[in-house]
Amino acid sequence: MSTDASNEVRVAAVAAATRATRAAGAETPAGGGQPAPAGRRRLLTERNRPLWMLIPGGVLMIVIIVLPLLLGIYMSVLNLDQYTLRKWISAPFIGVDNFVEALTASPLLHAVWLSVSYSLIAMLVTLPLGIAAAVATQNAFRGRAVVRSIFLIPYVLPSFVVATVWRIMFQPEGVVDKALGTIGIHAGLWLNGPQTFWTLILVQIWASWPFIYLLALSGLQAVDHEVHEASALDGALWWNKLRFVIFPYLKGPLSLAFLIGMLHHINNFTLPFVLFGIPAPSDVEVLPILTYVTSFQSFRFGLSAAMAFISLILIAIPLFIYLRAVKLDDAETPGGKK
Amino acid sequence: MRMRKPAQLGVIATLAAAALALSACGGSGGADGGDGKGKTLSVLVNVNGQYPEQQKQWQSDIAAKFKAQTGADLKFETFTSANDELTRIQTSVVSGQGPDVYSLGTTFTPTAYATKAFVTLSDDDWKKVGGKDRFNPAALGISGPDKDHLAGIPFVSRPFVMAYNKDLLSAAGIEKPATSWDELAAQAKKMTKGDVYGLATGYKDNFDPWKFIWAMSVQDGNPLIDGSTAKLDDPTVKKAYDTYFGWLTKDKIVNPASVGWSNANAVASFAAGKAGYLLMTTATSIPTLEKSSVANKFAYALMPTTAPGETAPKGDGANAASILSGDNLVVADYSKQKDLAFSYIKLITSKDEQLNYQKIFGDLPANAEALKSLTNPVLKPMAEAAAKSKATPFTGAWGDTQLALLNVTVQSIPDLSRGSVDESALDQRIKDAQAKSQASLDRASKG
Repeated sequence: MSTDASNEVRVAAVAAATRATRAAGAETPAGGGQPAPAGRRRLLTERNRPLWMLIPGGVLMIVIIVLPLLLGIYMSVLNLDQYTLRKWISAPFIGVDNFVEALTASPLLHAVWLSVSYSLIAMLVTLPLGIAAAVATQNAFRGRAVVRSIFLIPYVLPSFVVATVWRIMFQPEGVVDKALGTIGIHAGLWLNGPQTFWTLILVQIWASWPFIYLLALSGLQAVDHEVHEASALDGALWWNKLRFVIFPYLKGPLSLAFLIGMLHHINNFTLPFVLFGIPAPSDVEVLPILTYVTSFQSFRFGLSAAMAFISLILIAIPLFIYLRAVKLDDAETPGGKK
Repeated sequence: MRMRKPAQLGVIATLAAAALALSACGGSGGADGGDGKGKTLSVLVNVNGQYPEQQKQWQSDIAAKFKAQTGADLKFETFTSANDELTRIQTSVVSGQGPDVYSLGTTFTPTAYATKAFVTLSDDDWKKVGGKDRFNPAALGISGPDKDHLAGIPFVSRPFVMAYNKDLLSAAGIEKPATSWDELAAQAKKMTKGDVYGLATGYKDNFDPWKFIWAMSVQDGNPLIDGSTAKLDDPTVKKAYDTYFGWLTKDKIVNPASVGWSNANAVASFAAGKAGYLLMTTATSIPTLEKSSVANKFAYALMPTTAPGETAPKGDGANAASILSGDNLVVADYSKQKDLAFSYIKLITSKDEQLNYQKIFGDLPANAEALKSLTNPVLKPMAEAAAKSKATPFTGAWGDTQLALLNVTVQSIPDLSRGSVDESALDQRIKDAQAKSQASLDRASKG
């Protein structure tokens, strides 16, 4: 999840910053020097927005996202495989057959279930971890910079590297087995069989908790000084302060983190692919793996496109919530109140 | 942005192809005709990870010779993994342009053939590459669906053999390497002592398991695919799995850790002197073994050709010492310089070039004369295996079948590591594999 997620961090950071600006803006009403984000209050300029400047980005969006998406949808109604690939435009049209096959005669639903449950479990574990780490490094102490840097290591490592290292550690009689062996635990196979599901979750947690940590940190930094002072004056102890004063501030960034993280996990191909190989043990045959195998091992491009489309719809649900969340966030009254 | 990846998975190749087609309609290939001056022939080959420097040298040498012969330039493009290759082929197939000549693994040739994007050679074409009879007849076994429709031109053979540790064998009083699977197990049992095991093999390898099942089944008279019928539910297949898994669960002649091994781990274990036999290996293991602690103690032999429980090979079994393995060359159908492509193939499949290639990279010649002229005793069993290689079924459904066979092992590994494979679970897995293979065959017959 590392590389793609950086965009999300930026988005979330901007959202947080915007809120902070607004908070400031509430005190010093929009002056001449106020920069763009306060667009909503400057309706006049909205009319003359230089929309043409969106053209380069728009063209890229169309070429990189919209066209493949449309092609993918088109492919999903074709009987496109190794036999028809060469003249794929004229591959036989078979309507919804691919979708029917994907839903009834393929492990797609099983894969969906695996993907969603694994993502959710990984997410539920990383959330408290990330928050705890963010809270722990919120106040300055000696060596804080070092600790914060160390926290980011799993996040900056490419997924491929993470998965390779873990795969080596999880080999039968590998480092993990030996370490557990010294305390008398014989855990069995990590890379095959039912336990693979938990292996995947474990590695996913290791790789992705810093993402939550980062977003939680950005949320914490948006908390005004006055808030800390006020709660101190009111005599709130640390837990009460955390629970009733600080956490509400984190609700926004963390719900974003939750959604983005879920999407990442559901989409994560590299991790299971490198950890378990192809064919994957049936306990970790998650959506991206299934789509990949269908496409590039069985050459059922049409069927695979149908699967991809179904998973797109699946992912569109949290995506929709995410977009709504961002929008609501923007429309909110200034002040970062939750 | 999140939606990109899943959509991408299915679509990326197509999009890339479409974009390519749009942007490069008037690209390569314009001129055609007589001599090759000013033309460039483009060839796609896999990167040789073991000998990268030598490969570059070989390529520039061949390019110089090719230029001297035809006047045309030679451009090599490389791919690093099977995936890479596949993407490349898909893109070229869809867009109708790309390399003129491809080097393909043998088991991938049927799939490539199914796309109809490569030239099926006419008698005339065969003459242009030096005649069909210049090749080892066995090597032509996976060039096409029948002998009149051949698209793959054999380039090198990489047959599978087994290596054995001479010291361990003689210490156990074994005179000759086994020729039947039962004998192999019996010998291995004698050699298994302490941390030394009779056999080294990797159950988690991405390819080896299906090759064992294929070999034992074929030697038992079951070709796995018979016309348009999959025969994975045949008792011979079950017996093959029982034998293959039994080495670990019943005979206990392989290291229990091998449930997590790939072929490389097995090689390492054999190289450390911890195994009597190293199964399913090729000439590429020579450099590793020559630098190891078993340097002067190893030799190669044909793998058994008598199916488990039998006393002699059935049917064509004696000729199924190995899957037909190696590289084929195919010429793209869209190529506008097919004659040049054939000249190139003629050059690199000539006796001298094939021997030279063998010397540098270890792969065996597909050229019959060159193969016969090999005198190195280490290579003898390999040359024999090359002649006794049998092609895997030539159908576009083979990829799925192979994957299904492999999947049975993948899903059985937890059982294996617990020490016994549940009978009914194995039956169910084989049944699934049969269904997958049959479904794929049904598509093939329609396609």
